[in-house]
Amino acid sequence: MRRFVLLALLTILPCTVAGQELKLPNKEGSVKFAIIGDSGQPGSGQVAVANQMASWRMRYPFEFVLMMGDNLYGGERPKDYEKKFAAPYKALIDGGVKFYASLGNHDDAGQTNYKLFNMNGQKYYSFKPKDGVRFFAIDSNYVDPKQAEWLDKELAASGSEWKIAFFHHPLYSSGATHGSADLQRGLLEPVFLKYGVNVVFAGHEHFYERLKPQKGVAYFILGSSAKLRTGDLRKSELTAYGNDRDYAFILVEIAGDELFFQTINQKGATLDAGSIRRVGEITPTPTVTAQPVVPQAPAPAQPQPPSPK
Amino acid sequence: MNITMFVATLALTSASGGLSGDAAQRITLPATPVEVAIKAGEQKTSTDPAVNPDAAAMADFKGRVGKYADLHKKLATGAAEQKKGSTPTELDAAKVALTAKVQMARTDARHGDIFTPDVRAVFRRLLAPRLKGEDGRDARAIIRDDAPEPASVPFKVNAKYPEGQPLPSVPAQLLLALPPLEAPLEYRVVGQHLLLIDTATDLIVDYILNAIVA
Repeated sequence: MRRFVLLALLTILPCTVAGQELKLPNKEGSVKFAIIGDSGQPGSGQVAVANQMASWRMRYPFEFVLMMGDNLYGGERPKDYEKKFAAPYKALIDGGVKFYASLGNHDDAGQTNYKLFNMNGQKYYSFKPKDGVRFFAIDSNYVDPKQAEWLDKELAASGSEWKIAFFHHPLYSSGATHGSADLQRGLLEPVFLKYGVNVVFAGHEHFYERLKPQKGVAYFILGSSAKLRTGDLRKSELTAYGNDRDYAFILVEIAGDELFFQTINQKGATLDAGSIRRVGEITPTPTVTAQPVVPQAPAPAQPQPPSPK
Repeated sequence: MNITMFVATLALTSASGGLSGDAAQRITLPATPVEVAIKAGEQKTSTDPAVNPDAAAMADFKGRVGKYADLHKKLATGAAEQKKGSTPTELDAAKVALTAKVQMARTDARHGDIFTPDVRAVFRRLLAPRLKGEDGRDARAIIRDDAPEPASVPFKVNAKYPEGQPLPSVPAQLLLALPPLEAPLEYRVVGQHLLLIDTATDLIVDYILNAIVA
């Protein structure tokens, strides 16, 4: 019996290790970050994802995490911040990882002043972690003319950088419960195209979906870092890959004109991986993004174990 | 889609998009909805009756929300100041203090103080076409999406929006139609009703029942 167990373990182990292979190039000087969405629901799913993120950071030293909103479900008292955010992500916070939040429909405006969400008192903001890449956190709950004006100006001023927008409501989605946020799309997509936004990350749907590029823009949905809506993803012509059975987070790396991604579940298994390359020159256009992205073949695995910062 | 039609209509009357640098010399694009929204926002703030026939009611509304915003600023000091980079304990303490100060300063506030009968009439007129029929389907879906049951929200001035309840997203086309607000005020739609909320305290500042006529 003992031999049988040993044999079974030896058979399973290589599969697990292979499933946990880092598929990002992990290049020196690249922009390395992670993504979580709808992460503010305490429970085993949230803890498992947070633990996996800490574990993967040993091999892939991402510097910051983008949050897709619904950062704290329910109450937002001090104990809620602790229970729903600070405690599960303690290892990352202690390791110096910065979190950049966007607001979901379950989030109170008070979060904008929370030190660890780095929103600097603003419901929408942009930041540039390194030369060549700029992120735009949008408040998709309330796209009023003031925010619209801000976005227009910020994008216009961002030049040839990678432009990555993130917010709560997905402009394209195959979800049965919510689906595409058509009205937000009507307002945001034209300005994304005009100024060459390359990639958009969103949450709200409690699953993971990588969409086929729409008008040259890459779209990802990740709203399953702590909540799941199993069976809600109705794979459609929009879907490049989807999963509504696993809790998940995404690791991302930007190196030059390529963006690599690896989506990992609560057990550390890779659900999805690949890369996109931005092409073209910045030329304003009303129909296709100024710098469309092109899906690439999956990134070659280069497991390297650099020490975390 | 309603917003597309709305934007397209406005785009015809709007100036073309302003680009900077070389790009502006190379190509001129039609206005994006964002640029149209900016233009629309500028028009809505106008008190010129030639621009906006409901100017008097809107100017009155603007004055009333401006007074509220001024009061809020005056009260959001000392222990009630919400500071960037706070801890959760500091955030909570400041919010509790500010909420108490605002409630105290507005003990006499009544339903209709800001949404006066004239303003309510204009708002209903502005909202109705954005939500009607097939074109308004997306907006109605957003309002329903994750919205709390109206019964769970106290329609009472100076009451708190219930903690833990989702704040329903407001369709962008409604925000384009309504007068812009100063922070920390925001509109929220719950069921058929429109709330004016102080997002720093979660206090209900005023409301319009049946703002959206089915």
